[in-house]
Amino acid sequence: MLKQKILILCALLTLAALLLWFKIPVASSQGPTLIAARVTDALPSQDLNSALWQQATALEIPLSAQTVTRPMLLETNVKAVTARALYNDQQLAVLVEWADATDNSQMVRIQDFRDAVALQFPIVEGLPFVCMGQQGVNVNIWHWKADWQQDLVAWQDMNSVYPNMNVDSYPFAEGQNPAPSDYTDANYVPAYELGNLMATPHKSSVEDLTAGGFGTLTSQPLDAQNVQGHGEWNNNQWRVIFTRNLTSAETEDINFAEGKMYSLAFAAWDGANNERNGQKSTSEWISLQIGKPAPVTKVTTADTITATPPSPQEIAIPLGLIVVPLVLVILVRTLMGKDEEPSE
Amino acid sequence: MADVYNWQLGRTIPYPYPEAHPQKQFAAVFNINRCIGCQTCTGACKATWTFSRGQEYMWWNNVESKPYGGYPQHWDIKILEMLDAAQQKTGKPAQWDTTQTDAKKPYGTYNGLTIFEANDPTQQALGYIPNDAEWRAPNFYEDTSTAYKGDNLGISTEGASLPEHQTWFFYLQRLCNHCTYPGCLAACPRKAVYKRPEDGIVLIDQSRCRGYKKCVEACPYKKSMFRGTTRTSEKCVACYPRVEGNDPLSEGVPMETRCMAVCPGKIRMNGLVDIAQDGSWVESPQHPLYHLVKVEKIALPLYPQLGTEPNIYYIPPRWAPRAYLHQMFGPGVDQALERYAAPSRETLAVLQLFRASQKMVFRYEIQEGPLVHEMQIKGKPWQMYNDTVIGFDSKGREIARLPVVEPIHERPKERLNSI
Repeated sequence: MLKQKILILCALLTLAALLLWFKIPVASSQGPTLIAARVTDALPSQDLNSALWQQATALEIPLSAQTVTRPMLLETNVKAVTARALYNDQQLAVLVEWADATDNSQMVRIQDFRDAVALQFPIVEGLPFVCMGQQGVNVNIWHWKADWQQDLVAWQDMNSVYPNMNVDSYPFAEGQNPAPSDYTDANYVPAYELGNLMATPHKSSVEDLTAGGFGTLTSQPLDAQNVQGHGEWNNNQWRVIFTRNLTSAETEDINFAEGKMYSLAFAAWDGANNERNGQKSTSEWISLQIGKPAPVTKVTTADTITATPPSPQEIAIPLGLIVVPLVLVILVRTLMGKDEEPSE
Repeated sequence: MADVYNWQLGRTIPYPYPEAHPQKQFAAVFNINRCIGCQTCTGACKATWTFSRGQEYMWWNNVESKPYGGYPQHWDIKILEMLDAAQQKTGKPAQWDTTQTDAKKPYGTYNGLTIFEANDPTQQALGYIPNDAEWRAPNFYEDTSTAYKGDNLGISTEGASLPEHQTWFFYLQRLCNHCTYPGCLAACPRKAVYKRPEDGIVLIDQSRCRGYKKCVEACPYKKSMFRGTTRTSEKCVACYPRVEGNDPLSEGVPMETRCMAVCPGKIRMNGLVDIAQDGSWVESPQHPLYHLVKVEKIALPLYPQLGTEPNIYYIPPRWAPRAYLHQMFGPGVDQALERYAAPSRETLAVLQLFRASQKMVFRYEIQEGPLVHEMQIKGKPWQMYNDTVIGFDSKGREIARLPVVEPIHERPKERLNSI
């Protein structure tokens, strides 16, 4: 019996190693499902109190501290978020709510950190590693930032936090309180000059990003930023709406279709606890169902993969998946002795 | 985690990335004894790099009065305290073993914890983020000495005398150390901080930085700074266009940084030293920095025990208490001071090269001159020769020629009162 267990373990390990080798995402059990409710009206992209949200079922998703890679914080503050989703013919909207005792929407002082929340979608079938995806299997991240929300009202500057500050003049800049965009010589605001989205005026409070593993998080280009956001802090609670068109022409963006199931993970940061980067709370993968599951129909041409002969790799993977564990099983059995142990 | 060799500590330390060394390393020697605290370096840096919105509090170069001054306030005491707290948990004292020294470990071996060993396992390095108030008064405690121990009238009957003044302070000139194993680079979770292979200058990629301030937190010298208007962190860039020889004045050869080149006290010498694949300095006895740091060892790293292998070296102040200097510059202090107080014939000539040219000196030659002075230093005979030192740039062209004895020009009688 023990030998059998070892054999099974060996086979599983081999399978896992092969999946990793060929960068095939390991599908794990999906968590709960967030069902996006269909509405015919325009989505309440700015209206947190719209009655339409009552049509969506709220789902509470537990969060825990990221403890896979450094830097990490063992005690993070956001323990759960509640999500609701709506969609219509054009768009998907997700409302995320969580408890937070403080509104941290300043990022000017050195000791300031923002409150933030993010949604993460794999952009291919299957589930990549839940923390930022993995090499070769990218994820699409929508990152809402409390300070960007504030910036849309008025760009936060030195005088937002130091109202009595006075400087005679700033060379190469126009005005007394120049924003990065007021510089006549942008060499003196290098992050702005290089188009770093941290430094440039925001189109939205949500940043649209791509990642494929730790340390690879990259903003999508400014003209590919297509997620809208709206967030408000009230009564020790953040409520944030993400809105995007169901389909996107960008290759690094997820596309949604009615009746289909997608994967989704959440992350949240409490600025008051100096949370930023990997120092955050994250969820496991959950499912996102857009409306009712589509009835099973025959494969349409649109769903058909372009007919091309299978590549050697495409043949090798399934072949390897069968042959290698088999060989290993035989090998282990041979090594452990030919006589079969009587089963219990 | 990789094991990397830190020659300043005489042992390997853990670091998130394996050893990979630049071909050359940006380095400098600061002679604390000569500094007059005028802040011309500070102003030159400010006027070159940090005069813009969001940089008001930034002083990539600063001069602070020790022991009380610090920018940000008490930065060194704070990190040393954190290091000590971690050390105490080990139950062993942090000590230097100086019984064995050689070229691989010129100061012996340090057995205490570095910032890469004393850290919480959740972080890449030990550190903290100073708040805005701590950065606000860069010259707080300027010229403030330790308590005066005189009579009731405040008059000392004995005055001050070497080797240690009872009442003392000194200026500490600081900029980014362009460390061999930078804390900032180790801590950035997105590899936005990098060390240039051509000159070892450490920079923050302004297109990749997302303002996490992990570099601000992990730099033990606190030379990464957050800019609130661009929401990214910035740091000393070692005036890299000058180091590259791209300044119009440089004629295509590496030039000293702005802070070095403006020094009226002539306390600074800046250069590039050749680095071998194993991270050691390539033997080049006629390179002035190699001579001062490696041959004579009169210039020492700042707080080497932090573990980052900083590349700015200091000739310690002769009058400060030795225990304080040992803490700040390691066990090489006594020998450094001894050799600086009675410099060798060659060192005395090399010391003349400080601020002799804006261009970096890559090699020197000495033309021997006559004996001009003989005296006793600490009971030992010492001779002074009026040798002439000649400095050459990276292309081997002469850029400086100075005698040890500064020539005296007497103004003729008819022009006594003219300007």
